[in-house]
Amino acid sequence: MTHPLARLLRLSGLLVGLGLIVEALTLLWSHPTAFLVFLLLGGSLVAAGVLLYLYAIATYPASPPQA
Amino acid sequence: MPYSTEGVVAVVLVTIALIALLVLRPSLVAARGGRILAFLCLFALPLLATGLGMSAQVEHSKSTSFCLSCHVMEPYGKSLYVDDSSYLPAGHFQNNRVPRDKACFTCHTDYTMFGDYKAKLRGLRHVYVNYIGTIPKEIKLYEPYNNRECLHCHAGARSFEESDLHKEIRPDLATNTTSCLECHDTVHNAHGLDGAKMWKEEKP
Repeated sequence: MTHPLARLLRLSGLLVGLGLIVEALTLLWSHPTAFLVFLLLGGSLVAAGVLLYLYAIATYPASPPQA
Repeated sequence: MPYSTEGVVAVVLVTIALIALLVLRPSLVAARGGRILAFLCLFALPLLATGLGMSAQVEHSKSTSFCLSCHVMEPYGKSLYVDDSSYLPAGHFQNNRVPRDKACFTCHTDYTMFGDYKAKLRGLRHVYVNYIGTIPKEIKLYEPYNNRECLHCHAGARSFEESDLHKEIRPDLATNTTSCLECHDTVHNAHGLDGAKMWKEEKP
C-alpha cells in the first residue's frame, strides 16, 4: 500500500508538472488568450500543486515513504 | 526585468525532469537530499518558473502584434501604415520614431514611476472587456493624452526645441495647458481609413 506522503507528493508533482507545461506552451504564443491561460490555468495548477506539497510535508513531517 | 521565453522554458523543462524523478522514485524523500530535491522541484523552481513566465508574458504584452491580435484593434494597426505623414502614429511608426515592435506601448504608456503597471492594469481590463464585457462602438482614451508622453522623447530634441512655434508655447506644453494634439490633430482616425493610400515597406 502506498504511503499517504508518497501519494500526495505524486499528486503534487503531477499538478505542478501539468501547470508548468501549460505555462511553457502559452509562452510560445503572443496573444491575450495565452496570457489568460497562463494565469488562470497554468498558475492555478502550479499553485494547487505547491499548496498540496506544503500540506503534505506539514501533515506527514517525519514519515519517510517507501517505494 | 524581461526574461527570454527560451530561458523560462529551460527552467520548466529542468523542473519537469526533476518532478518526474520524484514521482517515479518517491522513496528519495526518505533521505535529506531527497527532501531538498522535493523542496526544489515542488516549491522553489515552480514558483521561480511562474515568476519568470509572468515577466515574459508581460514583456510579450508590450508587443505591437499582441495589441493588434484583438479584432477591435485592427483598424488602429492599419492606421500605422497610412501613406500620409500627417497621421501622427503613421509618421512615428514608419520613420522609426518609436520601436516598431512596441509601437502601441511606447505611446500608450505613462512615463511615470508606475506608468508601466498602470498600462498593464488597463490592459487586463481590455482583455476582460474583449472576452466578457461589451466593446464600446468608439474607443476613447481614459483621459486626455498627456504631453508628458510626447515630451519624454521630444523634449531636448533639436527639431522640436528650435521650432519657433514650439518656443512660443513651450511653457504651455510643459504644463499641459496646450495639448500637442491641438496642432498635431490627425491621430489614428481608425474608422476613416477607407480608400486611404497605404505604405508598403520596401525591403532592401
